[in-house]
Amino acid sequence: MTADPFTMWHPVASEHDVPYRHVHHGQLLGRELAVWRADDDFVNVWENRCLHRGLRLSIGSNDGTELRCQYHGWRYANRSAGCTYIPAHPADAPARTICNRTFPSVERYGLIWSGESPVGEPPTVDVLEAGTPFGLRNLPVHASAELAVRHLQAHRFLPSGRLGAESAAMSVEWADEYAVALTATTDTDDGSASTAVFFVQPVDSGRSVIRAVLAETPAASEQMAVLRHHATELNGLVARIEAEAALLPAPEPMVPVLQQVPLHLAEVPEAPSGRQAALRVQVRRKWETAAGVAAFELAPIEGVLPTFQPGAHIDVHLPNGLVRQYSITNGPGETSYYRLGVKLEPDSTGGSVCLHETVREGDVLAISEPRNNFPLRRDSMRTILLAGGIGITPLLAMAQSLDRMSLAFELHCFAQSAEHTAFSDVLDGLGESVVRHLGLPPDETVAEIRRLVATPDEFTHVYVCGPGPMLEAARREAAEAGWPDDHVHFEYFKNTTEIDDSSTFEVALARSALTVTVPSGSTILEVLRESGVPLPSSCEQGACGTCVATVLEGEPDHQDVYLNDSDHEAGDRIMTCVSRALSDRLVLDL
Amino acid sequence: MIKLYDYVLSVNCYKQRLMMSILDVEYETVPVDFFPGWEHKGEEFRKINPLGHIPVIDDDGYILWDAHAILVYLAAKYDPSGRWYPTGDPGLLGETASWMLFAEGTTNTASAARLCVNLGYDFDLEACQAGAHRLFRVLDEHLWFREREGREWVCSGAHPTIADIALFPDVVLSEEGGISRLDYPALRRWTDRVKRIPGFEGMPGIFPASRGVEV
Repeated sequence: MTADPFTMWHPVASEHDVPYRHVHHGQLLGRELAVWRADDDFVNVWENRCLHRGLRLSIGSNDGTELRCQYHGWRYANRSAGCTYIPAHPADAPARTICNRTFPSVERYGLIWSGESPVGEPPTVDVLEAGTPFGLRNLPVHASAELAVRHLQAHRFLPSGRLGAESAAMSVEWADEYAVALTATTDTDDGSASTAVFFVQPVDSGRSVIRAVLAETPAASEQMAVLRHHATELNGLVARIEAEAALLPAPEPMVPVLQQVPLHLAEVPEAPSGRQAALRVQVRRKWETAAGVAAFELAPIEGVLPTFQPGAHIDVHLPNGLVRQYSITNGPGETSYYRLGVKLEPDSTGGSVCLHETVREGDVLAISEPRNNFPLRRDSMRTILLAGGIGITPLLAMAQSLDRMSLAFELHCFAQSAEHTAFSDVLDGLGESVVRHLGLPPDETVAEIRRLVATPDEFTHVYVCGPGPMLEAARREAAEAGWPDDHVHFEYFKNTTEIDDSSTFEVALARSALTVTVPSGSTILEVLRESGVPLPSSCEQGACGTCVATVLEGEPDHQDVYLNDSDHEAGDRIMTCVSRALSDRLVLDL
Repeated sequence: MIKLYDYVLSVNCYKQRLMMSILDVEYETVPVDFFPGWEHKGEEFRKINPLGHIPVIDDDGYILWDAHAILVYLAAKYDPSGRWYPTGDPGLLGETASWMLFAEGTTNTASAARLCVNLGYDFDLEACQAGAHRLFRVLDEHLWFREREGREWVCSGAHPTIADIALFPDVVLSEEGGISRLDYPALRRWTDRVKRIPGFEGMPGIFPASRGVEV
């Protein structure tokens, strides 16, 4: 019985096929692949098909962190292949489920190995494990892998260092369906020998690529001669294989099965209820990034972390039972971990203290999938980022994205001192776009913000994150300067508004045909949850925007800080965790 | 100022636009209704070029036709560094001439196939495609070894030459003529390098490359 090629590992590219900032066009078993190396050296093997309109991703551009489709500019993240930005919807965060199909990849012996649904690990080859593998030029062959392997068993070459010899004795070390190992030995007195392994990549039913690896790296001075020798011999072999293949009937090309849209994407997903901790991560690294600020790198225990976009946050479920929100500070392409910055709050109610004092490297934490209620537009001529203290965290992710895309931005960091500036190393890498404002007293901070937002400009967007008083100042100054609300974006750490939950009102759910009463002391969110109507939530204090509902009728009593003044005035959305009703009745689109 | 008799979808006209853009030479184009008007075959245009083909340049009254000849002229006249057409280095000049002749081959196969598919020219499409594959195989192996020698361009110098400009459009638009470059990974990598030459400009069907790694 022969092995199923679809469950085997095959080479799909050679190391030199995937230099930085390039997309290799490959094919395996009839399926086209886009293979690209990110700047962090992860090699991505993806279906060669943008899931938007089916264009080949191999003509896309690899910016070192993301692959950008040439058709409509959709950007896909290193590792996860999740969409991070859709230019036609600049104000929206793409759903995490918009994701291209990925295949596993492993680098071994100078080759990139992948497969349809490969089992276990790529093959280990003793002679290559023991040696110093040296990749030869790969050769495409218009013939089946079977025919190529058959001919390879009769292939001849000369040992490295004996290229002047008349001939060499050839022996087949071993052979299977997709590889042949040959040793060439000269019959001269010293018996010089070279072993080469010829892997055959089944491209399609009638096409293959021979990827040959010498067991020993020749001396530097001989390498070009050895490469030329093998290229010449293999060209001859390929000519013979193709001559025979031309006499055979052409096999039917393989038809790859395009993955159907998975059920969980095709169906309307059930709304998750409450705060989900779907992921388990390990604290890979914990360090002090600034005075009183601990930084954490959270790595997946297995598999790949879900895609995030700049501005996204996760819920961290702490060992003491509390749930806290933290922004992902990563730049694009940094997809092997989430990096957070946590400031020790003097009046901590247990969240930051727990992370600072209890959580250690190696600990496992439960976190939610990333959620982005603070998306970054990338269609403005200029972006102003105003960070107050630890408010740098979401803006740091934004700054790195803008920098990578060569979009103009300024990141203004307000901090007590240089020692209090978190992630200084990352800031340094952003060069002159970063402006530090250190040790300013409150009135000077306000004056500086006033200066920075003095001139409203329809081609500029402003993003602000920091402590409450700073956000209030920025909100006021921007409004006074005449900025339209939808050009100034805020993220609050927390809602310091004193919540008035004394009212009692009725909530009618238009879709669920259900009417409930929200008594004083209870929130809409709580009552809906008790009535079996699930709603996602995160901060549950009116700051993050997760539990939003659409208002169809009635007058909301807004008590959140997520929506801006225009949103509050419009009254068509409500944060169900804190806001209530001024009218006796609200009708929600739920 | 140089006048270029031009058709935006012509690879041979694009070669001139690309060269002049890289050399930062100012020029104006005179659009020729190549398709569907066949203006270049008309009596009026034959007064400029009796062969009835484009591109043609008019540099202050000096008229020159034939795409690869114009590249020689532009580089020799407008590249003071002498690197694009290396007249000062006989070995390199010989290589350049050799690959320019090779580019006649890719134009007559790969770009001819494109004319069949896109504009309905009555050439033997299969023969054009097979011929292009034969040449691409040779060029891919050549460029693979160039990379191993630490070189980036078709000729052996450290700087690109007009041979790279002459070959690039025929190669990069081959898929429009039904010639896949799946089998030629080294050729694909070289197209990325050409796209990163300062002053590079594309044409319809040619996408820009991402920024390279800063060295």
